[in-house]
Amino acid sequence: MPAPNPDTLKPAKDFSRSVITFGIARKANTDNVFLGCSDFKVYSGDLSAAKFEPKELYTHESYVTGVALAGTTLVSGGYDGKLIWWDTEAGKQIRTTDAHAKWIRKVIASPDGRLIVSIADDMACKVWDAKTGKLVHDLRGHKEKTPNDFPSMLYAVTFSADGNLLATGDKVGHVVVWDVKEGKPLATCEAPVMYTWDKQQRLHSIGGIRSLAFSPDGKQLAVGGMGKVGNIDHLEGKARVEVFDWKTGKQLVEFPGDKFAGLVNKLAWAPDGSWLVGAGGAGEGFLVFFDVAAKKALRQEKVMMHVHDFEMTADAKEIVSVGHNRITIHKLG
Amino acid sequence: MRLRLLFTTALCAFTSITVSAADLPPASKPIPQVIDQYIDAAIAEAGVTPAGQADDATLIRRLTLDLVGRIPTTAEVDEYVKSTDANKRTQLVDRLIASPGFARHQATLFEAMFNPEGNGRGSGAFRQYMVEAVKENKPWDKIFREVVLANESDAKTKGAAEFIRGRLSDADKLTNDVSVSFFGVNVSCAQCHNHPLVHDWTQDHFYGMKMFLARTFDNGGFLGERGYGTIKYKPTKGPERTAKMMFLTGAAIEDPNSKEPTAEEMKKEKEALEKAKAAKTAPPAPKFSARGKLVEVALKDVNADFFAKNIVNRMWHRYFAAGLVNPLDQMHSENQPSHPELLAWLARDVAANGYDLKRLTRGLVLSKAYSRGSKYESSPPDSKLFAVARLKPMTPNQLATSLKIAATDPAAFVGKKPEELEKLLEQAEQAGRGFASLISQPGENFQIGVGEALLFSNGERLTKEFLTDGNGTTLGRAKTMKEPKEVAEFLVKTAYGRAATTDEVNAISGYVEKRKGREAEAYRQVLWALVTSPEFRFSY
Amino acid sequence: MPRSSHCGSPEHSLNRRAFLGATGAASVSLAADMTQLNALASPGVNDALKKTQKRVILLWLAGGASQLETFDPKPGASTGGPFRAIKTDVPGVMISELMPKMAQRMKHTCILRGLDTKNGDHGSAAITMMRGRRNEAAVRYPDLGAVLAREMGRADSKVPDYVTFYTQTEGRSMAPGDAGFLGARYAPMELTNSNYPEFIKRLADISDLDHKERSDLRELLGKQFVAGRSSETLSSQNEAYERVRGIMASEKLFDVTQEPQKVRDRYGPTQFAEQTLIARRLVEAGVPFVRVGRAWWDSHGQNFETHQEMVPELDHVMATLIDDLKDRGMLDDVMIVTLSEFGRTPSINASLGRDHFASAWSSTITGCGIKGGSVYGKTDDKGNKVVAEQVDAGSLFATIYEALGINPEKNYYVGSRPVPLVNPGIQAIKQVLK
Repeated sequence: MPAPNPDTLKPAKDFSRSVITFGIARKANTDNVFLGCSDFKVYSGDLSAAKFEPKELYTHESYVTGVALAGTTLVSGGYDGKLIWWDTEAGKQIRTTDAHAKWIRKVIASPDGRLIVSIADDMACKVWDAKTGKLVHDLRGHKEKTPNDFPSMLYAVTFSADGNLLATGDKVGHVVVWDVKEGKPLATCEAPVMYTWDKQQRLHSIGGIRSLAFSPDGKQLAVGGMGKVGNIDHLEGKARVEVFDWKTGKQLVEFPGDKFAGLVNKLAWAPDGSWLVGAGGAGEGFLVFFDVAAKKALRQEKVMMHVHDFEMTADAKEIVSVGHNRITIHKLG
Repeated sequence: MRLRLLFTTALCAFTSITVSAADLPPASKPIPQVIDQYIDAAIAEAGVTPAGQADDATLIRRLTLDLVGRIPTTAEVDEYVKSTDANKRTQLVDRLIASPGFARHQATLFEAMFNPEGNGRGSGAFRQYMVEAVKENKPWDKIFREVVLANESDAKTKGAAEFIRGRLSDADKLTNDVSVSFFGVNVSCAQCHNHPLVHDWTQDHFYGMKMFLARTFDNGGFLGERGYGTIKYKPTKGPERTAKMMFLTGAAIEDPNSKEPTAEEMKKEKEALEKAKAAKTAPPAPKFSARGKLVEVALKDVNADFFAKNIVNRMWHRYFAAGLVNPLDQMHSENQPSHPELLAWLARDVAANGYDLKRLTRGLVLSKAYSRGSKYESSPPDSKLFAVARLKPMTPNQLATSLKIAATDPAAFVGKKPEELEKLLEQAEQAGRGFASLISQPGENFQIGVGEALLFSNGERLTKEFLTDGNGTTLGRAKTMKEPKEVAEFLVKTAYGRAATTDEVNAISGYVEKRKGREAEAYRQVLWALVTSPEFRFSY
Repeated sequence: MPRSSHCGSPEHSLNRRAFLGATGAASVSLAADMTQLNALASPGVNDALKKTQKRVILLWLAGGASQLETFDPKPGASTGGPFRAIKTDVPGVMISELMPKMAQRMKHTCILRGLDTKNGDHGSAAITMMRGRRNEAAVRYPDLGAVLAREMGRADSKVPDYVTFYTQTEGRSMAPGDAGFLGARYAPMELTNSNYPEFIKRLADISDLDHKERSDLRELLGKQFVAGRSSETLSSQNEAYERVRGIMASEKLFDVTQEPQKVRDRYGPTQFAEQTLIARRLVEAGVPFVRVGRAWWDSHGQNFETHQEMVPELDHVMATLIDDLKDRGMLDDVMIVTLSEFGRTPSINASLGRDHFASAWSSTITGCGIKGGSVYGKTDDKGNKVVAEQVDAGSLFATIYEALGINPEKNYYVGSRPVPLVNPGIQAIKQVLK
């Protein structure tokens, strides 16, 4: 079945939130979502309810930056370096793992739900058994310091659709593609434009790879972030996406951005691979659709918040975006 | 009302000291005579012996630096010293004032006066405007008018508008800078005055002045002025007040249109502004111009006293290195002039003579007070007496141009037609500009920092741009000389415009002889020592 | 509009001798060769000198570092951001987890958490925070460096007495070192493009002997002119030239490669680290005041990323400097101050940034006469306002002066007008003084 045309995108619902939502996980084929927020809390909510009132589940010790759902197990991670495992059926905590020495940036689940992956600023990508919580792999492919002797950060991680590949992307624009089974690196790609080091004017940096997504066939890897920034006090670089043939590390297409400024925090492909969608923002946000084969932007839509994450349904008919003080639902088709 | 009365009283005190015109010398008396009458009287009263008159070589150096911003060439010095013409000083002054260098130098000084903080504010159009203004001897009140009215649609006065344009984003600063530059009153300081009575006066005073200026805005690159707009402020005591246009003397202006416009009027205004923007023309002028009112009230009757005294005080400071009132922006009742009658007479004179600054300048520099020596062997008398000439550190341009002249073979300036000579001197000025930008502009309480000493001691530019020894340079000429003594005499003469003393000749030739076989280097070092020593660095 | 309660009416032109008072006389007698490294620690220098020669290193966090991500964390508050607070070696005092090294050294440091300085504009706030007060239209005040150069420098000093590093370009022109009415004699040696001062090295085309004798010749030729003439500017020119050779001899102080590799490694390879190490070399040689400007903290976007990158550097460098000074027995004589033009808003904007905020922010003072481990000032739960022990720029400066043994009420004279070091009525914070 062909994916719906991005031209049909229209806003459907919009909820205001007092907190910043950094991560969302949606239970397949339902309206149940789990949210990781700036008040250190993880919530569950029903998008179809007459009044959207997310219910608090439990609390981290810092910002919750990633939530992932593996079957009925919810795993969340945050700046406290911890992973909290939660049984969504029983409504109780399974375990807490001191997963990383530094701030966790993202938590994802494998498509088959057997694995959980967390990344953090200790520059480690850790693969966990979703059932037992045991560490399966500790993948180290990113340098702890930038070339300028400042701490680096590891922001982005994604699985391929078949679950065989993982990709991780860091602050300086370095991407590693991993063989999940072997726990070995397969290839690297470089997207240095995503990292702006201002060595003279302000002497620090901004940017980094903030999102990754494999094409449905697993051959291409989309990388999201922000182009070079003049004044790094602000997120004023253009929202940027590059697509790689990850096996050769060759950049196939670049979308340097012509409409919106800010970071591309999340990327996803249409199930049939016909388009790629990215979302993110600065003071405000955006949803942008690309035709990768034709190397052109299809639709670029303003969103009233800086988007930190979204969930797209398997049929690509609905996108739930979360971010700065808001949650927004768009429909397609 | 109480505040107003106090305010007016304070101002009267300032003006009353001097007003009685009957006591002043007749208006027809030449400026230099009046100056010397008052200065000499105060010196005599203090029982002080003033320094004698400066010698001719010193005087021509001082006049040339003050009027055209450079040291004289040795040929100019020799001719002046040799001349037995009783009128030679007057002739020299007239020649210098008539020369193009006068307009350039005075414009530079005016620019520094208007923009004391900074290099390169605005486009340089302001300086160009000042050069033309000095050249045509534009009356000071006309300059005031053109600066404050800021008409950018007239190419001739567009540069004057830079003063306001550079301060558009800060109406407080604009208010204070206008008051300081044209009236010698630093209103922002007066605002927090210690005096228990004057203390209250000041906020009305400050915001009163600000009301004249705060309606100015930019419309697509052209300055515009609104016909409405009020300022509210919170006094230290009591409820919020709405400012009234009020000049420094307390003269208030009624603004018939002071009400805020209706939405309809605003819309119309906006359309008119957009239209002007699109047509790239100045926006329509308001029926009631607050800045226009400021010009009007500031020059009217007794109010003009501030304006006239300020320019006299500033010009006095330019030639005597101190004002009759110091600091220059503190003209108020509690800060009396050193010579109140003299200031009053000069202010009356400049106003009565159409604010002719060339005439005033000529009068100042032809006085005996101006031409006193700067040396005083015993403990010097109170500097307020002007009994001894003060040292003036050169401005960056004066210093760099003078360096260029001292480094140029004096023969290059000899036997030239006046236009050719002028051209050479202008070139020297141009050549010095880059180096001048590295030197600090002297201001109040100026001190030379170690940065300058390091720049002169170890900077490449001095050696490369000034102390070269090719053809046509001083050092090139020195190389052709045989005797170290001859070189010593030549270098001292070229740098200082006077004959070397025996001690100097001995010290220099001794220095050179110690460096036998590398005389060229020695000469360079000697010239360095001459131009870095205080005799070169200062106008004396 | 600036308001001040002591704007007088100067009636005379300035008289340098009057307002400089007896400075030179008091300090000229200290004749140790301060160009030698660690002169203070060498046995030839008497203890009195060691006691009186206080010096200051100002770590100037230009652009406005966040108090919430450094010295006044609010973990768990909606404004607190993601970073935790950690315990320090002072019971009850917590600082941001981004500063683990300083957490072990807070017993040397005093935190002022109650800064309310009113001004959130970079340029004018920087001017205020470098001077302890706003400039008046009529009076340009000297900044901290110029006052300390004047108070603690020596007239015949062989080293510069005010050095400032500011290599980044952002904000540099907003906060230049400025001697104000003290004049160019106390103007800073500004290092911007390089860690090496301009014009400190003799040009290749003149030998050292010639350079020296040329300077002697200059002095000789000037004598005749100077006789019978007195002017503050004239004296300043002579003093400036007299200092040239001495300052040239201090050239090596700026050369970080003179420092053992071990020490350089300890500070680390970043520019801020190197400049702070040079600052340590300078104060050790007797330079009274060094500012190390570290720009640019203006994190309107990505505040947490920016602080995650920059705070650990500050933490490491500041902790290393404290250790180094302590090891050298200098911590009682050298004060380290951290200061910005302002702090950052508790509220977090949509770009996950924090904006300008002058109502409740922090500064620290370490060493000299400051009570280590003390915390003065308290902000509310969200960090929005100061609820106790508020500090303004003036009292901060009064405290610094007092700790250095300088009377904050001491007057300079601008003309006849007395201008105290801090505005009248402003007091040092006694609670943090030893």
